[in-house]
Amino acid sequence: MAHITLNQYLQQVLEAIDSRDGAFCAEMLSFKHPHVANPRLQLSSPEEKSMHLHCIFTMCSSFQAHKEENWALPIMFAATLDLRIFANNAEQQLQSKGKGKVGDMLEKAAEQLMSCFRVCASDNRAGIDDSKKWGMLFLINQLFKIYFKINKLHLCKPLIRAIDSSNLKDDYSTAQRVTYKYYVGRKAMFDSDFKQAEEYLAFSFTHCHRSCQRNKRLILIYLLPVKMLLGHMPTHQLLKKYDLMQFADVTKAVSEGNLLLLNEALVKHETFFIRCGIFLILEKLKIITYRNLFKKVYHLLKTHQLPLDAFLVALKMMKVEDVDIDEVQCILANLIYMGHIKGYISHQHQKLVVSKQNPFPPLSSVS
Amino acid sequence: MNETAMSVGWHQSRRGRGHRHKEQGRANREQVVEQKAEDSVPHGTCMTMCPAYELRQREAQNRLHRFEMVAGTERDRLPSADVSRAVKEYSRPAAGKDSTRASDLRPPSVLLKTVCHLVDEIAASSTSQPWTEVYSFVFDRLRSVRQDMIIQRVSGPDCVAVLEKSVRFLLYASYRLCGQQLQYFDPRINDTHLQECLSWLLESYRDGKHQHQEEFQALSLLYNLGSSQANTHVLELPERIRSSPAVQLALAVSRAHMERNPVRLLRLAQRLDFIQVCAVHRHLLPCRTDLLLLYSHGHSSRNCRYPLQRLARLLFLKDALAVQLCQVCGVNVTEEWVNFSKSSFTDTPSGDLQCRRMHEPLDDERWNCSAGSVIHGCV
Repeated sequence: MAHITLNQYLQQVLEAIDSRDGAFCAEMLSFKHPHVANPRLQLSSPEEKSMHLHCIFTMCSSFQAHKEENWALPIMFAATLDLRIFANNAEQQLQSKGKGKVGDMLEKAAEQLMSCFRVCASDNRAGIDDSKKWGMLFLINQLFKIYFKINKLHLCKPLIRAIDSSNLKDDYSTAQRVTYKYYVGRKAMFDSDFKQAEEYLAFSFTHCHRSCQRNKRLILIYLLPVKMLLGHMPTHQLLKKYDLMQFADVTKAVSEGNLLLLNEALVKHETFFIRCGIFLILEKLKIITYRNLFKKVYHLLKTHQLPLDAFLVALKMMKVEDVDIDEVQCILANLIYMGHIKGYISHQHQKLVVSKQNPFPPLSSVS
Repeated sequence: MNETAMSVGWHQSRRGRGHRHKEQGRANREQVVEQKAEDSVPHGTCMTMCPAYELRQREAQNRLHRFEMVAGTERDRLPSADVSRAVKEYSRPAAGKDSTRASDLRPPSVLLKTVCHLVDEIAASSTSQPWTEVYSFVFDRLRSVRQDMIIQRVSGPDCVAVLEKSVRFLLYASYRLCGQQLQYFDPRINDTHLQECLSWLLESYRDGKHQHQEEFQALSLLYNLGSSQANTHVLELPERIRSSPAVQLALAVSRAHMERNPVRLLRLAQRLDFIQVCAVHRHLLPCRTDLLLLYSHGHSSRNCRYPLQRLARLLFLKDALAVQLCQVCGVNVTEEWVNFSKSSFTDTPSGDLQCRRMHEPLDDERWNCSAGSVIHGCV
């Protein structure tokens, strides 16, 4: 569209504003729009490029003056999205030059977004259809993306509270709700609230449009560890479908109680797991793996008075290093405390005495 | 790259202020903008540990600390200041107060000398008693050193050296003064400053190579045992640092903590060196109580008994202390046997079993002499 003159372009934008066509205006003002390719706008110094954003933001600050109107919301969405992307690029450029503190640009962007958010959240006067509150979830999602990137998750809490107390929370578009629940689910994971995390991430996964394969895969990366901690292993089919074979060995190891394979799998795909931020959570699967291994020992010996030595042998077979009877007792005590085993240890008889009924309760019923 | 005399001079004047990447053909305007930013950062010119102006003022107002006085004049109406021992004190920034006067700021080389003086002559000296007073003095003066560094935007090797010694001092103090009365030592204030120094230090490590990085990454992880943020940070370190013995040991301790295996954790803790013990010690008492909790549930049975001696060995405590810990946690002990019961364990321990009781018993003399080497890092 570079054939359109600058004047014609500006004329179109003015018309869109006059007719309160938020969607069209947003399209025109976004950085993705072809008008950006116009050579007269190609300036060498970045300061002048930022004038673009500056103008947009002046427009956004005039939002507040739009009493009881929300037609300009799409423009605000486009502007905030561009802002976040610019901030990301600025960060990368600064990092490659070795200047600046990590997260500076993104934090500044977040400040701007928060002020837009406050305008939306405090719109109490307008009726439901004209309320700016409809802009809240989009902005929150943008803010989440920044907070996750700069690793300041605690800043998400007030935003989550705002949505929880909003009466619009189930009426936003599905796309926005999927994104929201994805981030809230990840936060719950980080806070070790796995039941909640499963609820949010499962919602996100099932409601994510089937054409967004990349997003579905992203959600799955976090949903899988949570489900595994609750005792549900993914099928091979599922892993293949979403190209997540890194989890295949982990899954196999956990369900078989194979500590050796688990350790190997974690090391093999370490980089991937660390990059996704799930390495620490996957390490929690060790407890589940111990439980599965010991359950096998129980089934093999077919008695409820199990010699502690049997567990030690099992661990040694899994090449667990320098473990002795005392550590075996500690691991067993932990499993009993967490409810994974019903029974008690008798040190004098060097035995684990388990309940005759359901000594290894199903994982989903525990914690 | 053509280097004119002017550009060489420009680079020399930026020494001690961190990395710069030279780029060919940078726009002139950007260069000028940066030069202007450089000029507005204060550069200290005070070559003594205490600026002359402050020294005169504090001497005249009788506000010298006992460690800064000329020997023999302490009891005079107006004690004399010893220039070789006076150190600039910390003062809160305030409106109207100019903290950027060059003559009041000490350049990085002087800051490093100041820190060495504080450690060698004050913290490690056997004549400085009581150590709570030493702590209070050194803590304040180190804070002033960091303040000078912040105002001058110091970065690079001198900054790292100062921070490393500060971290070691604060860690050492947290162990030595553990359990002292709040007026002499507040663990929360010590913790706040320690965390500040640590995060500044770890941030500084991102640029360039640093000799002691592995050691301090390990100390940071041990001090913040249980923090997923600290763990994630270590996991994202380059392979070379992650695979160093110090970091590997710290990771092993951290893993034992995450897996809730106090037996393993306490065993691994025996392999830590002194400064590492200082870093991790505040987590050890909760770890021991956790062991009692897990065993109270795992070994819960009316008829079974567990040998006391073995328990004491698992806890790495003397028998008598183990008994005390059990009693405080509601675990039944009779003579040589312990009877675990999940209903009798109490989460809110009665009585006051202090962390301090479980420290290495060292007398004051030995504490002082080893302090220097611990804080400087050459064991």
